[in-house]
Amino acid sequence: MFFLQLALSGLAQGAIYALVALSMCVVYRATTVVNFGHGDLVMAGAFVVYLLVVLAGLPFPASAIAAVALLFILGALIEIGLIERIKAGPHIGFALMCIAVGYLLRGAARAVWGREVLPMPRVFDFPPVMLGELVVTADALVIFSAVGVLLMLFFGLFYRTSAGRIMQAVCQSERGAALVGINVRAFHGVMWGVGAAMGAIGGVLVAPLTLLHPGLGAGFLIKGFAAMTLGGFGSLGGAVAGGLLLGVAEQWVGGYVSTKLIDITAYLVIILVLALRPSGLFGQAVAERV
Amino acid sequence: MKPFVHLLRPCIAIVAYALATTASAADTAGITDTAIKIGVMAPLTGSGSSYSKAEIGLDAYYKWVNDQGGVNGRKIETVLEDYACDSTKGIAAVKKLIHQDKVFMLHGNSCSAVAMAIKPVVLEAGIPWVIAHAANGAISSPATKNIFHGVPVGKTMGLAMGRFVMTKPGVAKVAVIQHTDDWAKSYCGPAMEFLASQSIKPVVEVALERGQTDATAQTLRIKQANPDFVIACLYEAETAIFLKDAKKFGLNAPVMGTAGTDLENTLKRVGDLDTVANYFVPHMYADNLDGPRLKRFVDILKKYYPSESVTAFSLISMGGGAAVVEALKRSGRDLSREKFIAELDKTRDFDTGVLAGRITWTAADRDGVKEVGIAGFVSGKPTVLKAWGQRL
Repeated sequence: MFFLQLALSGLAQGAIYALVALSMCVVYRATTVVNFGHGDLVMAGAFVVYLLVVLAGLPFPASAIAAVALLFILGALIEIGLIERIKAGPHIGFALMCIAVGYLLRGAARAVWGREVLPMPRVFDFPPVMLGELVVTADALVIFSAVGVLLMLFFGLFYRTSAGRIMQAVCQSERGAALVGINVRAFHGVMWGVGAAMGAIGGVLVAPLTLLHPGLGAGFLIKGFAAMTLGGFGSLGGAVAGGLLLGVAEQWVGGYVSTKLIDITAYLVIILVLALRPSGLFGQAVAERV
Repeated sequence: MKPFVHLLRPCIAIVAYALATTASAADTAGITDTAIKIGVMAPLTGSGSSYSKAEIGLDAYYKWVNDQGGVNGRKIETVLEDYACDSTKGIAAVKKLIHQDKVFMLHGNSCSAVAMAIKPVVLEAGIPWVIAHAANGAISSPATKNIFHGVPVGKTMGLAMGRFVMTKPGVAKVAVIQHTDDWAKSYCGPAMEFLASQSIKPVVEVALERGQTDATAQTLRIKQANPDFVIACLYEAETAIFLKDAKKFGLNAPVMGTAGTDLENTLKRVGDLDTVANYFVPHMYADNLDGPRLKRFVDILKKYYPSESVTAFSLISMGGGAAVVEALKRSGRDLSREKFIAELDKTRDFDTGVLAGRITWTAADRDGVKEVGIAGFVSGKPTVLKAWGQRL
């Protein structure tokens, strides 16, 4: 039972990691930019929903939708206003720009809420479901449901609709897509928006479970990287699987080996995967013709 | 050879005079005819920012002292520096206060790890430092020339935590959850030493690192051990996460926390009284926060910071502030760091009016406050307790 309880909690935690990893992966696949400031978009999503629920007094569902919409716009603006402008420059410029934007968001949150660690009112306040001795908490149920629905929508859209096929086409060849009349620039903006919005959903789901502070996103960034690495860079399904596996691995490591190792599990995963199987579980090995 | 010696003598005299005047200048740095400059380091931003309520309270206290006429004809001028509970920023802040702002003394710091990082800088500068809030005893012990602890150290509180746990009838199994840093050890170490002296060994010890957003594995391992009491040496955010998970998974044992948390904020963070009903913390005050003995200090805070909410951190540094003011008064108008340190060392059984324990500093022992109580919720209200189920 201990084993299963840990696994269940790990899956709930891992579902958030999966969402963060997937949102990073979307941006990476669409624009080849690794967003080192992505954790701060997660944090921003959490803070926007806090702002709307606690300060504006809006109901949680409406606040969540508004937060996701706002972060979509922010993500698109970052791409159109900043990333697109430095496209001709060296790739390191993207990384530095992403870090700078992330720190800017963090600094803005600090400027407003600096001295407080903020509690979000409980929104998933219903009793846990007992399956024998197994406790399925309200938080876990909400996270499973929300992330499950979101993933189905995302993968359905990406693989089963013509819009999704267009997205895949641009991801495979921007030049080819441009030649057949697809607005690649707008596509990049939209995908940054989608990535930011998905990251914001992670923040929205996390907000009621933990305490909010401007540094909240840093941990999720590392977990997102570890999940992406484990699943294979650029693999959307791999990012989801990597997130879930990482969540469960953390709990099992904490439960059976040492709780001191939970914090470094993500780093261990990154090191081990890169050393032993750089393409991850579902990524494709890159071969260059010389 | 003789002409050389002839020349050497005045040179030595000049160097000796220069050194003497430099030392003297450093000894009176931060003092003018009208002001005494005190550097206050506080975590005004970051995840540990709620600790800065201690330094905000201290600042209010010094402002109040000024409104009462100041000290020996001088006003206290505080210079607040933010270090965001970060060691690198802490070192930068303290160097700025010493070398750029040229303050007379330091009175600040909430985060123990940062205090340990800046300790060498302060020792080298020789500037008096009264620790405002950080509880790690290693900051002020073994005693040095210029560092004084103005609040109870972790050892004092750890012993009080252990003693309180043992007042619950029938306690035989105790679990421990803690961070893996010096701060947590400074509480949990003495608490476990006390338990060991009562032949109690923890049934399980687990770690919860700072910044983690989930404590499921830790909670389940503790629940498996079925303890009678849990000692939690965790910072605020992680305490709330652990208490929430404990409730989720039906871990019903009472939890003894540290002074790094307080009851009011913990309740606010977990969101419901049920989750904190069995949570206890060391209580450093002479009364309940809303009790008559603390009203004067709450009023001081509210006078200068009207929108500041009052938590268990808010008044904690005022006791050290009162002792500093007393030593400044005794030092007289002809103030110097050396005289001030000598006067601090003469502080004996000083009743601050706000702290539960009195302050005594000697050249050999700088842990000023050696008594604390314990507080928990009784009928939904934070209440000071002398033992399990017994009000003070």
